Amino acid sequence: MSHIHVDVEHLSFAYEKNTPILKDITFHAHENDAIGIVGANGAGKSTLLKLLVGLDMRFEGSIRVEEIPLSNETLAKVREKIGYVFQDSDAQLFMTTVEEDVAFAPRNYGLPEDEVQRRVDKALDKVHIEQLRKKPIYKMSGGEKKLASIATILSMTPDVILMDEPSVALDPKNRRNLIHVLNEFDHLKMIASHDLDFILDTCNRVILIDHGEIIADGEAREILTNEELLEAHGLELPLSLYGR
Amino acid sequence: MNHIHPLVKLLLNLYYITLAVSFHRYDVEGLLAMFIYPVACFIIGELSLRDALHRLRVVLPVVCIVGVFNPIFDHTVVGYVGGVAIWGGVVSMITLMLKGILTVFATYILIATTSIEGICYALRLLHVPKMIVTQILLIYRYITVLLAETKRITQAYALRAPGQKGIHYKAWGPLVGQLLLRTMDRADDLYESMLLRGFNGEFPQGKPKRQSAGDVIYLLFWVILLFILRTYPVLTLIGGLFV
Repeated sequence: MSHIHVDVEHLSFAYEKNTPILKDITFHAHENDAIGIVGANGAGKSTLLKLLVGLDMRFEGSIRVEEIPLSNETLAKVREKIGYVFQDSDAQLFMTTVEEDVAFAPRNYGLPEDEVQRRVDKALDKVHIEQLRKKPIYKMSGGEKKLASIATILSMTPDVILMDEPSVALDPKNRRNLIHVLNEFDHLKMIASHDLDFILDTCNRVILIDHGEIIADGEAREILTNEELLEAHGLELPLSLYGR
Repeated sequence: MNHIHPLVKLLLNLYYITLAVSFHRYDVEGLLAMFIYPVACFIIGELSLRDALHRLRVVLPVVCIVGVFNPIFDHTVVGYVGGVAIWGGVVSMITLMLKGILTVFATYILIATTSIEGICYALRLLHVPKMIVTQILLIYRYITVLLAETKRITQAYALRAPGQKGIHYKAWGPLVGQLLLRTMDRADDLYESMLLRGFNGEFPQGKPKRQSAGDVIYLLFWVILLFILRTYPVLTLIGGLFV
């Protein structure tokens, strides 16, 4: 179990003046949290995740990862601790084969080749895609790419994992596999998604965002079963809860 | 051939291309002898000629038409075949064509038997600046991104323009603009993904390959053989044995 916590305080962000994307966001993510960040399209979920890894530094407020304040000076240190899985796997995978892509981060961090190979083996094993090791990225299916994307992050042995819409474009089998893989992780996880069934299956806490503001923050089942709250903010009950 | 050190293959490739383009413009015979290298590499490397021709189907015709105007400008008579005068322009057109084909095939062999990482690793061993090598790698990645986006856009167009051949010229502007914007977005995402995984300006290499005695022998063999083929009219000498 990692012992990293993330503290976000009074975080505000706008790409353009007068059109704020995030407004005064404050929450504390604890080491054993699996947080689902839910909200309708354009609520600010992806932007929030991107800010947490410093992909845009024009924010107001503060983000602290294990007491390290996120700034240009600490960016490299923070990124070593946080793994970010992009919504679009094609935007994440850029090497020729799965193995090379998974080895990219450990090699960048200057690890000896034996350790790189050990990490690659472990990461591929964790997401059950050892058989895809030599497969060219461009020949992979959407589900395979998603799992490979996660493996590229696992090889960094991050303390926090952020995932943006991980269940998009997955067939039921791959979706189940991904849920299983995520539930096996003992990291702090934050998953941005409007797939509430997926969040229900993987998260113990939910932060509901609407128009850049936190509307609710609490136990996953409590929020995801509150039909009135969800519908007021452009969401619906998870399909699995209908008819209960 | 995949096990030969990338530096050996790169050096040999450069050497071969240099020799091939250095032949005199009327020296068809010398150039024909140079085909021994690609032929041997195709056999040793178990490369498919059919596959190569398919992949090079766009490049090869372009290479072949480079010298197409030579017969118009060069009327020097360089010989006779059955009483018909052969113009130097025709011969130089053929040699240009052969040089192009040999160069393209040599490059194809290098790419087909060496990964892009291997080639860049070899370039770094030759002290090519890391900025240039990284650019080559990024361009290589970017090409696939560009092609994928092009495919998506053209498919989306075709689905909404049934029965239309190609893309109407009025749509070229917006399509190219879209393509550029999308690929820039995608390239940004890829770059961010690299940064998040510790990219610091240089692509990391795996376990450095060590050159073996076999690599050196392979290199020496070809260097000597190609030098002989370049220096002596081997085909004429061999032909002389039978006349």
